[in-house]
Amino acid sequence: MAVLQTPTGFKMDNSGRRVVVDPVTRIEGHMRVEVNVDAGNVIRNAVSTGTMWRGLEVILKGRDPRDAWAFVERICGVCTGCHALTSVRAVEDALNIRIPKNAHYIREIMAKVLQVHDHIVHFYHLHALDWVNPVNALKADPKATSELQQMVSPSHPNASAGYFRDVQTRLKKFVESGQLGIFKNGYWSNPAYKLPPEADLMAVTHYLEALDFQKEIVKVHTILGGKNPHPNYLVGGVPCAINIDGVGAAGAPLNWERLQFIYARLQEAYDFTVNVYIPDVLAVASFYKNWLHGGGLSALNVMDYGDYEEVPYDKKTQRLPGGVILNGNWDEVHPIDPRDPEQVQEFVGHSWYKYADESKGLHPWDGVTEPNYVLGPGTKGSRTDIKELDESAKYSWIKSPRWRGHACEVGPLSRYILAYAQKVDYVRGQIDDSLGRFNSLAGTSLTAKQALPTTIGRTLARALECQYCAKQALDDFDMLVKNIKNGDTATANVEKWDPSTWPKEAKGVGTVAAPRGGLGHWIRIKDGKIDNYQCVVPTTWNGSPRDPKGGIGAFEASLMNTPMERPDEPVEILRTLHSFDPCLACSTHVMGPEGEEMTRVTVR
Amino acid sequence: MTSISEEELAELRERGKRLSAVYVYEAPLRAWHWLNALAIVCLCLTGYFIGQPLPTMPGEASANFLMGYIRFVHFTAALLFVVGFIGRMYWALVGNHHASQLFILPFWKGVWWVEVWEEIRWYLFLKREPRKYVGHNPLAQLAMFFFIVLGSLFMIFTGLALYSEGLMQGSWADKIAGWVLPMLGGSADVHAYHRLGMWIFVVFIIIHVYVAIREDIMSRQSIVSTMISGVRTFKDDRAE
Amino acid sequence: MAMTETFYDVMRRQGITRRSLLKFCSLTATALGLGPSYVPQIAHAMETKPRTPVLWLHGLECTCCSESFIRSAHPLAKDVVLSMISLDYDDTLMASAGHQAEAILDEVMTKYKGNYILAVEGNPPLNQDGMSCIIGGKPFVDQLRKVAKDAKAIISWGSCASFGCVQAARPNPTRATPVHEVITDKPIIRVPGCPPIAEVMTGVITYMLTFDRIPPLDRMGRPLMFYSQRIHDKCYRRPHFDAGQFVEAFDDESARKGYCLYKVGCKGPTTYNACSTVRWNEGTSFPIQSGHGCIGCSEEGFWDKGSWYARLTDIHQFGIEANADKIGGVAAAAVGGAVAVHAAVSALKRAQQKGE
Repeated sequence: MAVLQTPTGFKMDNSGRRVVVDPVTRIEGHMRVEVNVDAGNVIRNAVSTGTMWRGLEVILKGRDPRDAWAFVERICGVCTGCHALTSVRAVEDALNIRIPKNAHYIREIMAKVLQVHDHIVHFYHLHALDWVNPVNALKADPKATSELQQMVSPSHPNASAGYFRDVQTRLKKFVESGQLGIFKNGYWSNPAYKLPPEADLMAVTHYLEALDFQKEIVKVHTILGGKNPHPNYLVGGVPCAINIDGVGAAGAPLNWERLQFIYARLQEAYDFTVNVYIPDVLAVASFYKNWLHGGGLSALNVMDYGDYEEVPYDKKTQRLPGGVILNGNWDEVHPIDPRDPEQVQEFVGHSWYKYADESKGLHPWDGVTEPNYVLGPGTKGSRTDIKELDESAKYSWIKSPRWRGHACEVGPLSRYILAYAQKVDYVRGQIDDSLGRFNSLAGTSLTAKQALPTTIGRTLARALECQYCAKQALDDFDMLVKNIKNGDTATANVEKWDPSTWPKEAKGVGTVAAPRGGLGHWIRIKDGKIDNYQCVVPTTWNGSPRDPKGGIGAFEASLMNTPMERPDEPVEILRTLHSFDPCLACSTHVMGPEGEEMTRVTVR
Repeated sequence: MTSISEEELAELRERGKRLSAVYVYEAPLRAWHWLNALAIVCLCLTGYFIGQPLPTMPGEASANFLMGYIRFVHFTAALLFVVGFIGRMYWALVGNHHASQLFILPFWKGVWWVEVWEEIRWYLFLKREPRKYVGHNPLAQLAMFFFIVLGSLFMIFTGLALYSEGLMQGSWADKIAGWVLPMLGGSADVHAYHRLGMWIFVVFIIIHVYVAIREDIMSRQSIVSTMISGVRTFKDDRAE
Repeated sequence: MAMTETFYDVMRRQGITRRSLLKFCSLTATALGLGPSYVPQIAHAMETKPRTPVLWLHGLECTCCSESFIRSAHPLAKDVVLSMISLDYDDTLMASAGHQAEAILDEVMTKYKGNYILAVEGNPPLNQDGMSCIIGGKPFVDQLRKVAKDAKAIISWGSCASFGCVQAARPNPTRATPVHEVITDKPIIRVPGCPPIAEVMTGVITYMLTFDRIPPLDRMGRPLMFYSQRIHDKCYRRPHFDAGQFVEAFDDESARKGYCLYKVGCKGPTTYNACSTVRWNEGTSFPIQSGHGCIGCSEEGFWDKGSWYARLTDIHQFGIEANADKIGGVAAAAVGGAVAVHAAVSALKRAQQKGE
C-alpha cells in the first residue's frame, strides 16, 4: 500500500490488482503499460514504459550535418519527414542559412500533407478499433447506415445503401471464414463498445475508404521528395528544382503538370477531412458522450513550440502559435524558448540511462546519454522476463523532458488549446462549430474547457487540426504559385553548401509542429561534423516516466481514474493511449557528447 | 634465382663470348608489356573521369555521348588488358624461363630474400654497387608480383564485377566475377576499391618509370632498351 | 456461398474467369508432371484453400515498411489483408493487445505448423541482453526465434531485417542484427529498401501465393523480379549521364532541365532496386525524378558509405572521411615526392662516385 501524491495533484495508489499490457499494439514501436485497478475496476496507478531503444543520435556523431536529415528521418516511418524537416531546420539555424521562399512553401506543403496523412491513418487504422466494433457491423441495416451517413455528412458521395451492403457482405465473408486476421482476439463482446451497428458499419466502411485515400495524399510527397515513406530533404532548400515554362520544363522535378497533380491531391485531402473524417469523429463521439475520461495532463499543462509561418522567418505569422499553459490557466500563455538552458530539460531518474547527478535535468545542447538497464528491487520476474515493473526505480527507455520542471502534454490537443487560448480565429471557429454539432448530436451542452481535455477531445482536436492543415496546404500552394508567378523560381540556397564556408563551431535548434506534438532537434557542429545531436520528441514528453519530483507524464496521467469494464480486456487503456498516437521509435534515443562511450557499455 | 645461373654462364662461355648481352624478353612478352602499358594509361585516365566527370556538355542529350565514349574506351582497354593478361599467363608457360618470373616468387628461398634486402640497401644508398641480373632483380620481382600480378587480378575481378552490373545477372562477366560484389560489401564498395586500385597503379607507374630510368643509368645492366629490343646488355663483365 | 473468400474469389474479383482459372490449373498440372485428371483437384484446392496465415513481427524499426505496405495500389492493401492472406499478427494493425495478442502467435503456430509465413520488419538488438527491444517483457529476439521455428518461409522486410539499416550503422550501439544472422535454418527472402516500394512488397506476397513458391533470388537473397538491376540501368535520366550532362549544384540550370544527378552523389549506379521502373506510390515519381539523388537505401550498409552528396564511397579502413581519391591522391603525391628526392640524392651520389 503506497500512495504517491504527484506535484500535479494525482494520487498514485499501487495497492490494487496489477494489470499488464505488453505489447501495446496499433502504435509505432514498442510499448508496455501496467496499471493498478481498485475493487471497482478504476485505474488508480499507471506505469508506461518505452520498450525499445536504437541509439540513433550516437550513430550521427562525426557525420556530415547535411546528411543528418536522412538518419533522423528513420527515427519514424509513420510521421515520416517531420524529423527530416526538423533536422534541416536545426542545421540551417546553426549555419545561418536562409532558404528561398519557394522552398519554405514546399516544405510547408509537405509538412501539412504529413499531418493530413498521419492523422487520418491514426484515426482509422490505429485508433478506430478502440471505438468501433467491426463484428457488430454485421448486424447493421445498410439502409439505416446510409441514412446515418447522409445525416452526419450530406456531401459525401459514397452514401448509398447498396454501397454499404457490399462492404457488409465482404466483411461477412471475411468474418465467417473464421480467419479473422487483424481482428483476431479483439474485444468484440466487451460492453465498452457503445456504437449502434449502423455507426459501426459506417466506420468500418470508412476504415477501408481511408486506407484507399491515404495512398493518394502521399503522392504529394512523392513528387516533392521522390517517395513516401521517407521523402528526401535538402539542407538549404528543397531538391525539386522548378521549371514552369522554360526549355526542358517537362523534364524538371517540379513543372506545371506536377503542380496541378499536387493541387488535385490537396483538394481531395481537404474534402476527405470535411466530408468523412470530422463527421465520423463527431458521430462516434456522440455515442460516447458519457465517456469523458482520459484528459489527464491536458487539463493542466500543455506546450508546443509553434509552427506554420505564413511569412518565412516571421514568428508572428505562425498559424499554430506555441507557448506553455500551466495548471489549466488558459488566460496566461508562457512564451517558450528552446535555446534557454533553463526551460526544456531532460531527466533520467526513472529512465534506463545514467547521469552524474540524476536529480538534475540537462538541456539538450548539453545532454548526456549512457544506457543503464537496471530494474528496481520490487520487479517481479527476471532481467530478461519481466512480469511486473518496479516504478519506484528505473523503468523505461524514455527520458523525462520537462518545461521549467513541469510535465506537459504535447500534441494536436495541446496546440488547439494553445491556439484557442491565443484566439486564433480559424481554430476558435472550428472548435465552436464542431462542439455545437457534437452537442446537438449528443444532446449535451459541453463547453470547450469541459470537452477538450478528454480522450475524445484529443481525438477531435487531431481531426480538426487535420482539416486546418489541409486548408493551410491549399493556402501554401497558392502562395507558392503566386511567388513563382512573380518570377522567383529559386528552390535552394547553396551559398553555404561547402563545409569550408562554415564556422569552426556552431550550434542550432530546429522545431516543428509534428503530428504527435512539438518536436525539437538540437545540434552542435564542430569542424564540419556533427559533434552532438539530440532530439526531444513528442512521445518523449507524453510517454515520459516519472521525474525526480514525482511528476508523471501525460500517458500515465491520462489513464488515472478511468473505470474499466473488464480489467483483463484493456479496451479503455488502449483507447486513451491511442488518442495520443504514441510513437515509441521516436521517443527513445538520445545522445550526448559522451555518446561514443556507449559502444563499450553492454556487451555481455 | 641468383643473379646469373651457372648454366647460363657455362652456356655463354662455351660459345666463347664475353658476357655482355642476353636475349631475355621475347617478342610476345615485349608486345604485351607495351600493350599493357597503353591499356593501363587509358584505363587510369578514363577511369578517373568516370568517377569525376568533366564539366557538363551543352546541348541536347541525344547530341552528346561523352560519358558513353569515355566508358567505351575504358571497357575496350579493360578487355584488352584482360586478354593481354591471359596471354601473358599463357606465355609464362610456353615462353623462356624469364617469362614465368613474374608469377612465381621464390618465397621459400632464403638467399632470394637476402638479395631483396641487398637491393633495398642499394636503393637506400647503403650499398655501393648492385648485383647483376638477367631477369628482374629480386626487389623488382617482388614489386612486379604484387603490383602487376595481384594488382591486375584484383582490378580484373573487381572490374569485371562492375562490368557485369551493366551486362546483368547471368551474363558471362557475372558468372566470372559477380560473386565479388556481395563479398566486398556491394556495388558501392567495389567501385571504391576498384578506384583505389587505379591509384595503386598510378603509384606503380611513378615508381616503375623512375626506377627503370634510374637503373638504366646507375645499375650494371640495360633496362629500358631491353624492353624494346629484348636484349639485356651489361656494362661490365664481373660475374657478381 | 463459400464463406471463405478464397483465392478463386479474389481472382474472380480481379476479372479472371473460371475458364482462365481452369486453364491455369491445367498448366500447373502439366508443369508439376501431373495428368489431366488432377486439374479438377487443383482447381478445387484453389477455390477452397484457406488464406495463408502471415505473422508480421516488429523489432527495432521505424514502421516505414508497414506504412509503405498499406500504400500498395495494385493489389490494394485492403485486398491483400482481407482476401489474400490472413494477417493474424501485426503489432501495427491488429485489434488486440497484450496477452490476447501474444496468444495468437501460439495458436497460429500450432494450427498452421510449417504453413505460415513469418514476415519480419526491423531487427533484433543483441546488446543490453536483447532488452533494447522488449515484447511481452522479454527480448524481441526470443519472439523471433520462437515464431521462426515452425515458419514455412521468412520474409525480411526492408533494410532493417535484410541488412541492419540505420540502427546498425556505425557504431551500432544496440548490436542490431539482420534476421538471417539470427535465423539460419529457414528460407529467407530479403526485400530491402528503406522502405521497400509498396508494390514490390505486395508483389512478392502475391507471387508466393499465386505460384506457391519462393521467387527466384539473387546471391544476396533478393527476388530477381525486383532487384536484379540497378536504378541507373533503367533511369530515365540515363541519356544525360551518357551524354556527360550533370547537375553540378542543387537548383542550377541543369537541375531545372532534369540532368543526371551523378555529380551530386546519386547512388543509382550502385543500387539494386526497382525505383526507376516500378517507381513510387503507384508510379507517381521516384527520388531522382524529384531532383534528389538516390541515397542507396536498399544497399547493404548504405549509411556508412559516405555522404549522400559525395560521388565516391568512404573507405573506413583509412578512417572516416577517406575516399579512394583522397587516399590515392595523397599516396601518389607522396610517392612522387619521394621519387623526386630519391632522384636528387641518386644524382648527387653518382656525381660523388664519379668524382672519386
